[in-house]
Amino acid sequence: MKHKILLSIASLLFSQLFVSSALAHHSFSAEFDIDKPVSLSGKVTRMQWSNPHGWIYIDVENEDGSLTNWALETSAANNLIRRGWKRTHLVAGTVIQVQGFQARNGSTTANIRGIILEDGSRLFSGNADELSK
Amino acid sequence: MKNRCFPGLSLLLTCLSLLPLTAFGQEIPRTDAGLPFLQGIWQAQTRAAYNLEDHVARADMQAGTSVVLGGSIPYRDSALAKRQNNFENRAELDPLKKCFLPGPTRIMAMPFPFQIFQNDEHVAITFEWTQVYRLIYTAGQEHLYPGFEFWMGDARGQWEGDTLVVEINDLNDRTWLDAAGNYHSLAAHITERYTLVDENTIQYQATIDDPEIFSEPWTIEFPLLRQTAMPRLLEYQCQAEAEEVSGDFERVEKQWYPAPIPAENIPFDTDAGADLPLPEVISAFNRRDDGSPDISGYFVSDAGGANYGLEVRENIAMFPPARGVVVAPADGVLPYQDWARAEQLERREAWRGYDDPTAHCFVAGIPRSHYVPSPFYILQTPGYVVILHERMSYRVIPLDGREHLSESIRLWMGDAVGHWQGDTLVVESSNYNGKAWLNELGDVTSHAQTVVETYTPVSDSQIIYRATIADPIPYSRPWTIEMPFNKQSEELLEVACLEDNNDLEHLRDVRDEHRAQM
Repeated sequence: MKHKILLSIASLLFSQLFVSSALAHHSFSAEFDIDKPVSLSGKVTRMQWSNPHGWIYIDVENEDGSLTNWALETSAANNLIRRGWKRTHLVAGTVIQVQGFQARNGSTTANIRGIILEDGSRLFSGNADELSK
Repeated sequence: MKNRCFPGLSLLLTCLSLLPLTAFGQEIPRTDAGLPFLQGIWQAQTRAAYNLEDHVARADMQAGTSVVLGGSIPYRDSALAKRQNNFENRAELDPLKKCFLPGPTRIMAMPFPFQIFQNDEHVAITFEWTQVYRLIYTAGQEHLYPGFEFWMGDARGQWEGDTLVVEINDLNDRTWLDAAGNYHSLAAHITERYTLVDENTIQYQATIDDPEIFSEPWTIEFPLLRQTAMPRLLEYQCQAEAEEVSGDFERVEKQWYPAPIPAENIPFDTDAGADLPLPEVISAFNRRDDGSPDISGYFVSDAGGANYGLEVRENIAMFPPARGVVVAPADGVLPYQDWARAEQLERREAWRGYDDPTAHCFVAGIPRSHYVPSPFYILQTPGYVVILHERMSYRVIPLDGREHLSESIRLWMGDAVGHWQGDTLVVESSNYNGKAWLNELGDVTSHAQTVVETYTPVSDSQIIYRATIADPIPYSRPWTIEMPFNKQSEELLEVACLEDNNDLEHLRDVRDEHRAQM
C-alpha cells in the first residue's frame, strides 16, 4: 500500500502509552497488531458517535495523490462525550493527526488513543476505568 | 423513601385498605409521600408491537386493532412512501431483526415482561428483552450531555396529580415504532403518561410529536397489566440466542450448563474460604429512612485492570498490566485446575479474542459487569437493590430472602438474592449459564459458580466490593477479589453495543485464518 505511513520512535513511545489503556469491549491484541504502528494525517470524512467504539474516517493522501480512507477506532462514544469531545470538533474536512496500530487483517483500520487537531490541541479517547480515580 | 406497600401480594392487600382512591374509584398502592407506587412486574396487553394501527394477521404478526387515539397515524404525504417501503421490506429493515434497542415506546408494547422500580428520585424500568433498561429521572436532575442522541432517548419525569409524565428527548432516528415500519425522525419528542388506574393496571399513553414526519402530534394508549404470578424476570438475550442458532457463538462443553465436574479435576476444597476482616470505615456515610446504608448513585470501579486479568501481571502481548485484585488465596494466584489454566493461557492468543462474549456485545456476567470496565448506577427502592450497568445490562437484587430459581433455569447474570448484614449488603447468586468470560485475558468461569458478594460502604463516596467465587469446575478452591467502587456526580449514558460492532468481523478473520492454518 502506498498510504502515508511513518514509523517513528515517537510512535513506539506512543505504543507504550497505549498499552495502559486497552479497550473495554474486546481484546486489543486480538484485533490490532502492536507490530504495525501507523502515523496518519488526513481530512475527516465522517465521525461516527457509536458504540461499542466511536469511528473517525479520514482520507489520507498517497504518494501518487490518490486518497485512501482509513477507519480509526476510538473508545466508546460515551467516553468521548465525558472527555469533552464535541460534534463540532470533527466535522467533515477537519484535518487531524493520529498515531495508532493497524488491524491484524490488513485493512485500513487502526485503533487510536487520541487525536491532534490542526491548532495543536489534543483530544484523548481513553477508557472508562481511567476515569475511576 | 420508606414505602412498605411494595407489591408482594399480601403486603399489597394490607396496604390497600389504607390507601385513598384514584380518580377512577379504585384503591391503588401509594408511597409514603402519597404518590402512586408503580413498582412491580408488568407486561403490555396489546398487539401494538406488531402494528400500532388496525392490521390483519400476517405470517409474522398477529392481527390487532389500533392503539392510536383517533385510529390512524397522521403521516405527512411526503413521509408515507418510507413507511410503505419499511413495511414491505420489514424482514430485512426492521432494526429489531438485528437486536438493536427498540426505542422507548416500542419496548413497552413488546410481548416480554418488565419490572418497574420507584423511589423519590427515579423510576427505572428493567426489561426481560436483552436486559435493556430505562432510567427516568424524576427529581429535576440536570441532563449533563444534551445534544447526543440515543436509541432509548433521555427521559425526565414528573408527577402531575396521579400521573407520571415523562418527556423523552435526544432520540436517534434508527428505531421503528412497531414491526410494521412506522417510524420517526431526529425531530421526535415523546411524552409518556403512566396512570395506575387500579392495583394491577397502568394505563399507558405516549404522544409522539415529530413535525417532520407527522402533520400533528398523535397518541397511543394501551394497558400494562401486573404479572402477579411472576416472581422475577428471566432473560432473553436477543443477539446471543441468534448467534447460538447460527453457530457464530459456539458452545463450550466444559463450562456451559450442564457440564459435569471433569474427572481429571483434583477435589474442590469447599472449606478453604477466606476469613477476611470487614473493610474499615473511613468516614460517616448516609443512611436511608429505614436505617440501612445509602449505597445509591453512579459508581466507577477502581479495578486496576481486572478486565485484563484478575492476577498481578506485567504487560504481556499487548494486554495492559493488572494490579491484581485476588485477595484470597493470599498469594493472589487463582487456584486453577491444570486444564483450566491451560485454557486461560490459550485465550490470550489473538485468535481466541473472537470467543470473548463481550466482543459479541453479550452481557458481561457476574462479577465482570462491575469491572468490564463501564460505570454503573446503584438504585435502592423498597425491597430491592438494582444495579444498572451502562453497557446495557442490569441486576435485580431482591432483599426478601426468597429461594433461588430452580436448578434448570440458567442465566447470564445469575439469580441474585440479597440481605443486609450490619452495614454490608450481602448478595448470593447462582443459576449461571457458564457462557461468560471473567475478563479479556480469559479467566475462566462455569455454570457451576456460586458467588457471594459484599458491598461495604466505607464513606459517602466509596464502597469496598468483594466477590467470593466458588466454582468447582475450573478451580480447586473458592477465591475472592476486592476493589473499591468510587461514587461520582455523573449520569449514565447509553451503550448500544450492537449498533456498530464491526470489530467482531475483524476478530473472526483472525480466528478463521488461524483455524485454516491448523
